[in-house]
Amino acid sequence: MTALTWPVASGWRRGMSPTLMLGLALCAILAVLVAAPLLTVALATVSEGRGLSVWQQVFAGRIAQNFLWSPLANTMVIGVLVALGTIAVGGFLAWLVVLTDVPFRRTIGVLATLPYMIPSFAAAFAWGVIFRNERVGGQVGVLAELGIAVPDWLAWGMTPTLLVLIAHYYSLAFLLIAAALASVNADLIEAGTMTGARPSRILIGITLPVVIPAILSAGSLAFAGAVSNFAAPAILGLPVGMHTLSTRLYGAISTGQVERGYVLAIVLIAVAALVLWASNRVMAGRRSFATISGKGGRKRRFTLGPWRWPLLAFAALILALTTLMPLLALLVSSLTLRTGDIFSGYTLHFWIGGSDPAYAQGQAGILRNPETLSAIGMTLAFAASVAVVSMVLGLAIAYGITRLKRHAIGSLLNQLAFLPALVPGIAFGAAYIALFGAPIGPFPALYSTFALLVIAGAAYTLPFTVQSGRAAMEQVAGELEDSARMTGAGFPRRLLAIFLPLTARSLMAGGVLTFVKILRDLSLVVLLFTPATPVLSVLAYRYASEGFLQFGNAITALITVVALASTLLAQRLQGKAEPWLDEDRGETR
Amino acid sequence: MKTRNFLAAFAIAALLPLGSAQAQNLESMTAAELLPLAQKEGKVTVYAFTSRIAQIEKAFEAAYPGIDVVPLDVSSTQMIARLKSEAQAGVVNADVAYVSDAPVVYTELVAKGMLLPYVPTDIAARVPDEHEKPLLANRLSTKVLMYNEEANPSGPPVRNLWELTKPEWKGKVVLVDPNLRGDYLDFMAEVVLRSSDMEKAYQAAFGKPFVLDKANRNAGEQWIAALWANGPVLVRNTDAVNDAVGKKGQANPPIGITTYSDRRDNAKESRALQVANAVEPSPGILFPAYLSVVKGTKNPAAARLLIRFMMGDDSPTGGPGFAPFYVPGDYATRTDIQQPKDAIPLDQFRAWRMDPIKTAGVRQDVSDFILSLK
Repeated sequence: MTALTWPVASGWRRGMSPTLMLGLALCAILAVLVAAPLLTVALATVSEGRGLSVWQQVFAGRIAQNFLWSPLANTMVIGVLVALGTIAVGGFLAWLVVLTDVPFRRTIGVLATLPYMIPSFAAAFAWGVIFRNERVGGQVGVLAELGIAVPDWLAWGMTPTLLVLIAHYYSLAFLLIAAALASVNADLIEAGTMTGARPSRILIGITLPVVIPAILSAGSLAFAGAVSNFAAPAILGLPVGMHTLSTRLYGAISTGQVERGYVLAIVLIAVAALVLWASNRVMAGRRSFATISGKGGRKRRFTLGPWRWPLLAFAALILALTTLMPLLALLVSSLTLRTGDIFSGYTLHFWIGGSDPAYAQGQAGILRNPETLSAIGMTLAFAASVAVVSMVLGLAIAYGITRLKRHAIGSLLNQLAFLPALVPGIAFGAAYIALFGAPIGPFPALYSTFALLVIAGAAYTLPFTVQSGRAAMEQVAGELEDSARMTGAGFPRRLLAIFLPLTARSLMAGGVLTFVKILRDLSLVVLLFTPATPVLSVLAYRYASEGFLQFGNAITALITVVALASTLLAQRLQGKAEPWLDEDRGETR
Repeated sequence: MKTRNFLAAFAIAALLPLGSAQAQNLESMTAAELLPLAQKEGKVTVYAFTSRIAQIEKAFEAAYPGIDVVPLDVSSTQMIARLKSEAQAGVVNADVAYVSDAPVVYTELVAKGMLLPYVPTDIAARVPDEHEKPLLANRLSTKVLMYNEEANPSGPPVRNLWELTKPEWKGKVVLVDPNLRGDYLDFMAEVVLRSSDMEKAYQAAFGKPFVLDKANRNAGEQWIAALWANGPVLVRNTDAVNDAVGKKGQANPPIGITTYSDRRDNAKESRALQVANAVEPSPGILFPAYLSVVKGTKNPAAARLLIRFMMGDDSPTGGPGFAPFYVPGDYATRTDIQQPKDAIPLDQFRAWRMDPIKTAGVRQDVSDFILSLK
């Protein structure tokens, strides 16, 4: 191991270890996939003799207020309120599932993880199906169709954006907080109860300290997700002129004001990265709490008494509104002649109708339209390729990080691979256009190729797949590999004979979840979209913004069904991933 | 296998000079001569700024079976950004561009050689020079002030653009955000360029001479600022404007800036859109819709055949290739195509004809000015 700590130069002289070579190769790949695009964006804002003029225009010019500052303010409001909202909703459900005797805990636990896997534009479109009013013309939603006046603040802008984003991100908070609650030492609570501490005292003295790190990290993740989300503000805010950094960024780049867009991309990255970084710092000092693991006896659940059923009903309402309702609304509206008129005039035209000038200016149904059909094939191939490429690369990087733990290359790998997690998808897309939009030396430009989509998708999902890879590696006991090595098994053999068979299921699950992440993504691909590389999510967005709501809803319903089915498959593959549901925990171990 | 690949590459290399010689011939070929070449290519991708391209697709494929038209309906602003990125990347996705936004097309695409002019030989004499250069236009389109005829049977509810800045029109002027759509930006740029007309119109509207505020640089900017202060409804596409303004059964409908020819859908969509032609100083702008070949196209013959097709046949209405545009409110550039009935004749239409180069000079500035308004 000491050989690994030698500086690179002397490593060459004395013959470099294969692991170090692998590490260096991976660093080079990450430099191209992650570091180079981000650097290019920064350079593009000042190159070609622009100096700081673009920065000056954006930060202090006459466009500054509406181009940067107001969108930035909206973005921050969304980030903070969504973080608080997800903690409240996710925390409530986690408390219910882990600490109380509410009925159907297992079902609640499974359903609460689903909203994050439904595309956020599904919820946003579904909101429109129900609440859309006459404010921006075109078709109206169910309520307006029924003659109920929907106020603007409910139909458009900040309120619906916040609600849709909270509905999307609370799963994250649920998962993190539930896991933390499950690790609260039952002995401590028992001791507290026996010595006569009131429930509130137990909450503040025992439960909270353990859960606070989880709450913080849930909040910062939701913040970072919400500030970079493009779909919800674009669908619900833009029509009434509410801008966030991501919608302004998209607007600037798609109307040819590329450099100004890049400046916004950098600001957006800074906002998201700063919060994640800060929360990591805070957590670093507190992590010791989270590692107090529950070896205690059988958990005593908090008895809800008469509140059991009302609380169940409340949880069921939250879950129904965030999983079933959006899908149902989208499906029903895709079958109607007018989106809001769900009680009459059904048609299958938007799914299987031929081209007919009477409908949507002659556009054929999505299963008859060559454009959408090729997009379906393209999107599935895209998501599957990303899953494979990203998992393979992620595993290799995870291996490198584990093996080179104490080496500079190892920590460099770790940081580069984590970097995409700090970069909002739309900024990542912008960075890829900046770098790969023109030929580099002898290499042709990748713009508008399938390869570019896959590379961008793989780099974007790396933080997740590296994490899955590390988790999988830690599952395999070190002794197994060591004994194999001692009996002379080379790395490929150890990989095939020990590692892969033991971790196949969890790796598959990681792959399927990566597939879903790409499938339901809009922000990464919205700028990379070209007619040669049609992706369903962008197609849905374009249809909807051109007023062909039913097509958009039909495509979104399709994506949602595939995403949900894949997620449930992944959960099956993972087996029991919900330790907090385990009634006998602590006794069997 | 390798030898065969090598041979194939060699053959292609040997044929290259031949290919470029052919490209020059393409310019002078008739449709009948283009057809066999186009059929060999089998496909033509067209970026178009109008959804009516779907009808062209059908008509073209019926007229020339075996040539697949792949249309992409995208706003001119986004099309231009896309064509630029593609040219930069050396990628050619489109063969034909059907595009408005003349000022940007002129300065950023034509001047840099990304779009190539093509005037079919038999068309040249039938279209005035001004609509053949820098690119061939098949029609003039519009962005003009329109109102609801059903609710205002006696004529337009306003006589002057300045009336839109009065309290009675607060929140009742509908248009697409000019920072999203180039034709709306061109409308605003034209208002700025016509500031002296706007000053005169001010006098007519308020009965007192125009006084320039410190915050604005000319009467055009002042009108835009006053309009924005009056809470206009900014929507995302013209369809939304048309519905808001035109839907029948409204007691007190808003007024809006949209496309004159969208009147064609009045019956189908239950609308009562009508142009406010009498408005002072002008109801809006007329602008060319350009047809051009994308540089580097892999289907040069099919591209030209499609352009020729969209210029119309020899019948007085232009036939199926022009049919989607043979509607009141669109003005064919071909002098031998008769004007459809029910439209204001071009010489009586009061919309401003814009000068692409002049507009290009102020466009970014007007865009920033609008962005700076609340």
